Amino acid sequence: MMRKIMIQIENLSKTFYQGSHVAAVLKEINLTIHQGECIILKGVSGSGKTTLLSLIAGLDKPSGGKVLIEGEPISKLPDLFASELRAKKIGMIFQHFNLFEHLTVNENVMLPLIPTGLKMKALQQRVDEALQVANIHHKKDSVASRLSGGEKQRTAIARALVANPDIILCDEPTANLDRDNSLLFIAILESLHRMGKTIIIATHDPLFDHLDFESIIIPMVDGEMV
Amino acid sequence: MILFLLSSVLLLSSSLRFSLQQTLDVQPDFVVTRTQGGASTPTPLIWGDTLLEIHGISKVTPRIYGRYFFKPKEHSFLIIGVDFLEEQSNENLQKLMDKIALKAFLSTNHMLVGEGVKAYLNAHFYKDSYQFLTPQGVFEKVNIFKVLPSQTNLISNDMMIMPMDLARKILGYEEEHVSDITFNVANPDEWNMISDKVSALHYDIRVVNKNEVHKSYENLYNYKGGLFLVLFLIVLSTFALILYQRYSMVYSTERRQLGLLRALGWSINDVLKWKFMETFVLVFISYILGILIAYIYVFVLGAPLLKEVFLGGENLQNNVTFIPVLDFTVLTSIFLLYAIPFIAAVLIPVWSVSVTDPKEAML
Amino acid sequence: MQEILLSNQVMVFLLSESTLFILLLVAFVVSLKILLKWDFERFTPFQFALEKQAYLVSTIILFVFLLKFILVIYFIFSIDALSFLLPGAMCAAGVIKANVYGSYLLVLKTFILFGLTLWLFVHFYDMYTKNHRWFRQKSWLFMLIFVCILLELILDFSYFTNIDAHLPVNCCAALFGQLEGANPLPFGLSIASLLVLFYLFYILLLLTLKSGYTLLYLVTHILFLFIAYYAVVYFFGTYIYQLPTHKCPFCMLQPEYYAVGYLLWGSLFMGSYMGLSDAVCTLWLGKTNRKSQNIAIGLLSIFVLLCTAYVTVYYVRNGVLL
Repeated sequence: MMRKIMIQIENLSKTFYQGSHVAAVLKEINLTIHQGECIILKGVSGSGKTTLLSLIAGLDKPSGGKVLIEGEPISKLPDLFASELRAKKIGMIFQHFNLFEHLTVNENVMLPLIPTGLKMKALQQRVDEALQVANIHHKKDSVASRLSGGEKQRTAIARALVANPDIILCDEPTANLDRDNSLLFIAILESLHRMGKTIIIATHDPLFDHLDFESIIIPMVDGEMV
Repeated sequence: MILFLLSSVLLLSSSLRFSLQQTLDVQPDFVVTRTQGGASTPTPLIWGDTLLEIHGISKVTPRIYGRYFFKPKEHSFLIIGVDFLEEQSNENLQKLMDKIALKAFLSTNHMLVGEGVKAYLNAHFYKDSYQFLTPQGVFEKVNIFKVLPSQTNLISNDMMIMPMDLARKILGYEEEHVSDITFNVANPDEWNMISDKVSALHYDIRVVNKNEVHKSYENLYNYKGGLFLVLFLIVLSTFALILYQRYSMVYSTERRQLGLLRALGWSINDVLKWKFMETFVLVFISYILGILIAYIYVFVLGAPLLKEVFLGGENLQNNVTFIPVLDFTVLTSIFLLYAIPFIAAVLIPVWSVSVTDPKEAML
Repeated sequence: MQEILLSNQVMVFLLSESTLFILLLVAFVVSLKILLKWDFERFTPFQFALEKQAYLVSTIILFVFLLKFILVIYFIFSIDALSFLLPGAMCAAGVIKANVYGSYLLVLKTFILFGLTLWLFVHFYDMYTKNHRWFRQKSWLFMLIFVCILLELILDFSYFTNIDAHLPVNCCAALFGQLEGANPLPFGLSIASLLVLFYLFYILLLLTLKSGYTLLYLVTHILFLFIAYYAVVYFFGTYIYQLPTHKCPFCMLQPEYYAVGYLLWGSLFMGSYMGLSDAVCTLWLGKTNRKSQNIAIGLLSIFVLLCTAYVTVYYVRNGVLL
């Protein structure tokens, strides 16, 4: 079965300069990810998986090589286009959930849609849909700081889904969750996989070693894929 | 705070200018005096008759006025002598006279006094009359008839208005002399021509028109407002510096939040727009608040302290009632003076936060 | 110390202009650096930093642009207010001519606003290309505008410091009236032919825009602006004042005439700025924006209608023309 290429990574490298000290975090990475695939980047902290994720999302600029998202070089686009790409194609779930603590769940989920200039009604409809999928609709009006870890995680998922992106990036999604909530997260992940989303997860959690659905595990060591 | 002071000063100055304009508007258009050696000397009364012969001149009124020094406290009153039976070229005076019972007024020595005068005399136990000492060394008792309305205090505060003969006696003028002669010219386009004609009447005549008086007052108030502007410039630049520093010290949480927004798909433009909206709202609210407080301070409370600076040099306690004026120019001036430095000061810090790398969200 | 300088409005104006200039100076220095080192294809952190700094430059210019418009209105407003302090001046016309700098300053100001509008157009086209295609053009344009603004600031100060409040100036009647039968109109036009040209150019403007001959459109536009100025001063103005001898571009700004001058000149200049910028962009960058074309034509139509309305209303009321 020939599937559409979602993400193409070519000779991607990232070097950090700290004074005279040079640290190569990523070394000449090449990777092709097709639509609907679930990729699990496995490795200890410092292996470069988080950096790889942020380069894919265009959050950071590479030192060499490029990332193509559906053929668009996200790393070399002016900010206006990169942001648009990010807003429409990519949903992100962060390790620390990264919610705005003083806003409600509803507002948190709405944030990515504000620059689109949609009408309030259409906006709210999309937010409601995302809240349903992530199973957090009942907490809609709670302030984020009052939520439990699992609820925060599901809010973060809703936020990642609200723009209906094709790609979901997760950075250590279960690091701050207990086992039950982690399993719940994996269940949601499975439903996303069935919806045909391309999913990339950076993690070192052994729970992801034996998923019930098809996934590709890529171990990373010292900025290289093994 | 700064905005409040600034708007108070500008509002005050514009209100003063407005009341001045009002007072001047009703003043006679021209004043004629005789000058000798650069100083004004008593003007012959006959000049009034020659003036009447010039076409276009109306309401010729001889006036007698002068300062009467109140010995013990080094204060002085402005005495104005008016011929109460004639039509007045000063419209305010005319209106005032229409109201008073002339017969009663002229029956004995009576005068109209400004509020300042009244208060001062009261403080010195002259309840309803005052004993003037004429240059001949004779005492002259004058009763107070009425107090002038306080809206005209800017000019009338230290005034005493009395019949002409009485004023002549107190100030020591001779029968055929007056201090000056005023007249009106209905058509403003003819002012220059009339002015030339009158000047040609006598070699020692001096003609002053209302606009010249106005201009000198205008410059005075602009100057006092301007002095404050210079002071505010210093305060304002300090304020801008503080703002700059304050905004530059962006807390790490805000940096992270903005990074997060960028990670969620906001572009730099979106973040900039958001931050500037925030700033504009802040500027606007503080602007409205400042104006409001200043308005209350100046027009409701009567601007304590600041008033002294603007009206300084008065020899009598002056209780001016400021007429509320909010004119568009002053509002724009204040806005420009406040908003431009404010936004200019925060512009660079706002930019530097807005371009925060979205990778901040990952840390 | 000059008396004029003590006027609050003049002070506020000069202060604001200076503040904006300082901001622009920052933008200029940064812009110069970017222009010299810019290479969009490179992947160095330095280039990424430059791209961020470009945002600073554009933010500053956008802010300045907004305020320059407000300040020009404020400038005219304060000049109008100053007419009171100068002997002989009845409106802004006399104050502008109080010294040699005044009219240059006004022309320069209108030119700068045009430059800024053009910059805005190029900026938006540039923002919506994936490789900042017009970046260099945009920056050079800014350099040019910056020089103009520097000149403007110098003129601002020389103008206001050199007004002698004791020297009588001419009023608008003397400046714009027909002295000794001399024809003030360009190319020896009569009022009738001026009006014919005015409406002709307006129609031509619409036609050239529709047909897509941009160069012709541009030329027509410039000529229209030129003719429109004379038509307002020497013909339509007299209907606003309802006085055949009153010819002045400034008096109509005063409240006696419902400050209609701001609307009139505003619609003419804004419309022209947008129309001209669009035409220049079409020729220069090969980019056109339908929406701005429509707005430009809309504004100019408001202008033409307003002018015509004054004449028509006068005719209907009085049954004669002036």
